Amino acid sequence: MSLKMDSATMAFTFKGGMLPMTIMELNSADPERIRRQLAGKLTQSPAFFQHTPVVLSVEKLDEPHLALERICAVCRDHKLLPVAVKGGPEPVKQSAWALGLGWFPPSDGGRGRILESVDAEISQPVEPASAPRSAAVSGELAATRLYRGTVRSGQQVSAAEGDLVVIGAVNAGAEVLAAGNIHVYGALRGRALAGIHGDLSAGVYCRELHAELLSVGGNYKRLEDIDSRLLGAPAEVHFSAEQLEIRPLV
Amino acid sequence: MAKIIVVTSGKGGVGKTTSAAAIATGLALRGKKTVVIDFDVGLRNLDLIMGCERRVVYDLVNVIQGEAGLNQALIRDKRVENLFILPASQTRDKDALTQEGVEEILDTLKETFDYILCDSPAGIERGAQLAMYYADEAIVVTNPEVSSVRDSDRILGLLSSKTRRAVQGDDPIKEHLLVTRYNPERVTQGDMLTLDDIREILAIDLLGLIPESEAVLRASNQGVPVTHDADSDAGQAYTDTVSRLLGEDVPLRFHEWQKKGLLSRMFGGGRR
Repeated sequence: MSLKMDSATMAFTFKGGMLPMTIMELNSADPERIRRQLAGKLTQSPAFFQHTPVVLSVEKLDEPHLALERICAVCRDHKLLPVAVKGGPEPVKQSAWALGLGWFPPSDGGRGRILESVDAEISQPVEPASAPRSAAVSGELAATRLYRGTVRSGQQVSAAEGDLVVIGAVNAGAEVLAAGNIHVYGALRGRALAGIHGDLSAGVYCRELHAELLSVGGNYKRLEDIDSRLLGAPAEVHFSAEQLEIRPLV
Repeated sequence: MAKIIVVTSGKGGVGKTTSAAAIATGLALRGKKTVVIDFDVGLRNLDLIMGCERRVVYDLVNVIQGEAGLNQALIRDKRVENLFILPASQTRDKDALTQEGVEEILDTLKETFDYILCDSPAGIERGAQLAMYYADEAIVVTNPEVSSVRDSDRILGLLSSKTRRAVQGDDPIKEHLLVTRYNPERVTQGDMLTLDDIREILAIDLLGLIPESEAVLRASNQGVPVTHDADSDAGQAYTDTVSRLLGEDVPLRFHEWQKKGLLSRMFGGGRR
C-alpha cells in the first residue's frame, strides 16, 4: 500500500483547533445552589443558554467526591452542555470519564485567573447578603466598571456583568474583558474581548486602534487581520453579518 | 527618613547595574549617605562596576543566613565618602534570599542611610520581586527598543500590585522612567523608538535620559561609575538624573541630534 493517501481514502483527519469555550468555575458543589444561580442567569440572558458547551472547572473545590452526574443534569436542564471537567482529584477524573466527559488537567494561573474573577463576581448577587436585588434588575442595570490608568502588559481588567470603561491606554500584552461593551479612552494596543458571555450586540470602542486581538461574543480578529488603514485612529468594533466589523469612529 | 529605591527593568542588559552604580555615586557626591545592594544573586556584577571586586569578603546571602554581620559585608567606596556597597553572592542562587531576611537588612540600613538603592536582577521572578518588594520609589530602566518597553510595562504592572505598598494599600510606589542607550541620530533615522513614543506607552514621569556613549563601556571596564567622568555626556546625564531625583528641575539634554559641524568634526567634540 502506498504511504501517500489522498483525502478520499481517509475517513477523517485530525486537526488542532482553538475554539472559544466557556468555563464554568464551580465555587460550590451543591447542585441546588447551582440550579438557583442558573435559573437567575437564564432570565438575564436567555441567548446564552442554547446548548452552549461548557467545561466544568472544579479547581476551586476541595472535595474528593462530587455529585457530578447531578451537576451535569442541572446544567442540561438549563441548556448548558457539559463537555468536560477541568481539575479535581483522581475520583473526579474517573467519574468524568464514566459520564462520557473529557478531563483537563488544572491550569497554573494564566487564563484561569480571568474567569476566576469573572465567576467570583457573578456569584455575588446570589449570595444571601445581597438577596434583595432581583436577577432581572441586575441584568438591566449591570454595573459598569471604570478603570483609571494604564492597563499594563500582563494585567487583566474585567467587567463580569456590564461594560468596561478604561480611561487610559491598554498596552500590548494586556487584556481587557467585559460582558458588555469595552470603551478605551486611550490607545488600545492589547487584547479586548467584549461580550464574553456571548452577547453579540456588544462592541469595542477606542481612541487609537492597535489591538493585538479584538473579540465580540467569541468572534475574533487578530492584528494581522485588521485593515492597516484603520490602525492608529479612533475605531469601533461590532459583530455584524456573521463577522467582526471594524469602522473608523467619527 | 531613608528612601528605598529599586532599579529595575524586566529585560536584561539595558543598564540597570550601570545606572544603579552611577546614581548611587551621584547621590553620595551630593552628600547623601547611600548604600547600593546587588540583588542579582548568582550573577554578581555590581562590585565590578563599582571597582570593589577585590574587596568582597561577605555578601548579602551571608548576612541573611547569619554567617556575617551587616557591617562586615558592607564595602566602603574608595572614591566617595558616604557610599557603601552590599555585594551579591556569586556562588548561591536566588532561593537563598528570604523576604524576612531582606526586610531585616533594609530596616537596619534605614537607621543609618539616606538612600538605599536595590539593583534588581533581570526577569520578573523571585529575585526581581524581592528587590522591589520594600521599595518606596522605582527607577525603571528602558532602552529605546520595543521589547525593552514592553518588559518595562510588565514591571510597572508588578510594581503596582506585587510590592509591600501595593499589598498593604499604602501610597503607591513613585515610578520614574530612565531611558538609557538613547542615540538621537538613530532615533532620527527611525532605527530606535523616540523618547515621546516611550513616554506615551509607559505613561510615567521621566527621570532622565542617558545617551548611548563610549564613556559607559569604558567606565564599566575600569570599574569607575560613569558619574565620575564629568566631561562625558553620559556622566553629565547621570548627574542631571540625580539632581531630578533630589527634586530639582533640570532641563533635558542629549535627546536631540546635533549634526556635526566642520569644527566639531575636526576637534572631535560631542560624544566622547
